[in-house]
Amino acid sequence: MRWHKLGKIFDPAEHILANDCSQYAQSPQALVFDDFVRIYFSTRAVDKHNGKFLSHVAFVDMKKNLRDVIRVSDKTVIPLGGLGCFDEHGIFPMNVLRHGGAVYGYTCGWNRRVSVSVDTAIGLAISRDGGETFQRIGPGPVLAPSLHEPCLVGDGFVKRFGEIFHMWYIFGTGWKKYSADAAPDRTYKIGHATSLNGVDWAKEEARRIIRDRLGPTESQALPTVVEFGGRYHMFFCYRESADFRTHKGRGYRIGHAVSDDLRDWLRDDEASLLAGTPGDWDADMQCYPHAFGCDGSVYLLYNGNEFGRCGFGLAKLIP
Amino acid sequence: MFAWKKLGKVFTPQAVEGRVWLKEFAQAPATLVFSDFVRVYFSCRPTADANGQYVSYSTYVDLERSDLFKIRKVAEKPILGLGDLGEFDEFGIYPVSIARHADEVRAYYAGWTRCESVPFNVAIGCAVSRDGGNTFVKLGNGPVLSYSPDEPFVLSGPKIRRFDNRWYLWYIAGRKWKIVAGRPEPVYKIRMATSEDGIQWNKVNKDLIDSRIEADEAQASPDVFEANGKYHMFFCYRYSSDYRNREKGYRIGYAWSSNLIDWRRDDARAGIDVSTEGWDSEMVSYPHVFELDGRTYLAYLGNQVGRYGFGLAVLDGQLK
Repeated sequence: MRWHKLGKIFDPAEHILANDCSQYAQSPQALVFDDFVRIYFSTRAVDKHNGKFLSHVAFVDMKKNLRDVIRVSDKTVIPLGGLGCFDEHGIFPMNVLRHGGAVYGYTCGWNRRVSVSVDTAIGLAISRDGGETFQRIGPGPVLAPSLHEPCLVGDGFVKRFGEIFHMWYIFGTGWKKYSADAAPDRTYKIGHATSLNGVDWAKEEARRIIRDRLGPTESQALPTVVEFGGRYHMFFCYRESADFRTHKGRGYRIGHAVSDDLRDWLRDDEASLLAGTPGDWDADMQCYPHAFGCDGSVYLLYNGNEFGRCGFGLAKLIP
Repeated sequence: MFAWKKLGKVFTPQAVEGRVWLKEFAQAPATLVFSDFVRVYFSCRPTADANGQYVSYSTYVDLERSDLFKIRKVAEKPILGLGDLGEFDEFGIYPVSIARHADEVRAYYAGWTRCESVPFNVAIGCAVSRDGGNTFVKLGNGPVLSYSPDEPFVLSGPKIRRFDNRWYLWYIAGRKWKIVAGRPEPVYKIRMATSEDGIQWNKVNKDLIDSRIEADEAQASPDVFEANGKYHMFFCYRYSSDYRNREKGYRIGYAWSSNLIDWRRDDARAGIDVSTEGWDSEMVSYPHVFELDGRTYLAYLGNQVGRYGFGLAVLDGQLK
């Protein structure tokens, strides 16, 4: 499998964004229309109360050459959740798919905690105006912590195969302080759930579907599944759980696994899948992949250095 | 109206010695009857930390069956440890509800975490005892009942029951956080779920008890008891703001049902109210009904939601 890197295609600093957002365009997610591609991403505003970040969903419409910007959303796509709700402090990411004339948006909602920085859960919001705005089905999540998935349920990616909705997502296995004066760091793994209606989900309950390559403290995030060459391919990103933000070599890179039945996945990312380009926007980190098909080609959107502070880029599968 | 005769306060946590985790509060009593004693599970607290914040533990006291005002023993330890860093029950296990089934005893408990924008969040966990209710092991380090689209936060106050070979869980679900004098106060309503195995739950997703004193009335402790062909629910309710006093604090309400899902509220029949003076003069709350040797008892909390312990009342007559 070889990818042709097309470079960075969107820089949030070059556009005016709603909700006073200025930096970050994280976790791009594509919705293909007849004559353009809408790419949702999460961008950030500063919380006036405490200087912390709030993640908001925005989108950019691009021509199908995936180079030329048509427009950037200038309104709120989905407001943040209410006081005490799971998505009060951010939505990052939102995964979209068409279903029954509507667009379903699976949100990863963030809420801040005291002993650890945050917890997350997965919500569902539905758009009936072609993906311009989304309304929650309720103030609470559709996928939340459970007996053996105690925290940090998030990063839902949903696709329908036959009559079954499949969701690949992540769940936390725990928080740990790696040194006495460090803030707690989390570890999460990729899991799987299914549903008949996209609302009521049955988890496989803590089955770790992707084998660890970096050992038990490998964190795996942002699964995305696409079918090509007669097989199912999952892309995701993975990193060490501690000292990963600035320590090159411990941060996010892109992983890959294949499956023939959507259940058992064979990991095969021993060889670097999508190496960063030295000195370029993705030199130090590659993360938050999103695979999609458009007009017969397979593309991979992803973020580069600093978790996507300066935007996202694109690669195209070489058939 | 039911005729409850108050018997007085049974247990005072301040009187217990040698347990740093049991200094104040004996909340949400739940009974398990043994051949010659009655075990009352309850939730308690060590003294508050430097910031005035509490954690809660759950434990038990054994009362003589022949005289419920005689304490046989107080547990040496909490029945469960608090959760690990970042888990749902890191800062408290309160309240707990207990049910015997086959050769095990199950505990359903509310686990507390602390949040930034609101003071806390709560979800419901499950633990099992295989030694008759002395020690418990959590089924997992996450919750067995968690948030869902219509129940976004504060799932608490579990009451586990078994009727007709099914598990029933009554609990409360947060409706909103209401800002009162600059501080978020939770509004919650009584809900229920059913299960075949006690682990996979189907929520009914509706408020079971109409709000009476105001739309934002907070309801808690939905304690269901079957007697004389009907289901009886005693619960407590309070105003949503300025409720830490006699006027607007917790009172005990009553509802009945013939099918466990549709409930008719009739607080006028509850038959128990605050006393003119003493340990339950400002509020009565967290009712729990149990039967013992042909009599029907109500365990409940008094002032400051059980800060100074719980008491008992006995029914003159029957629940019907």
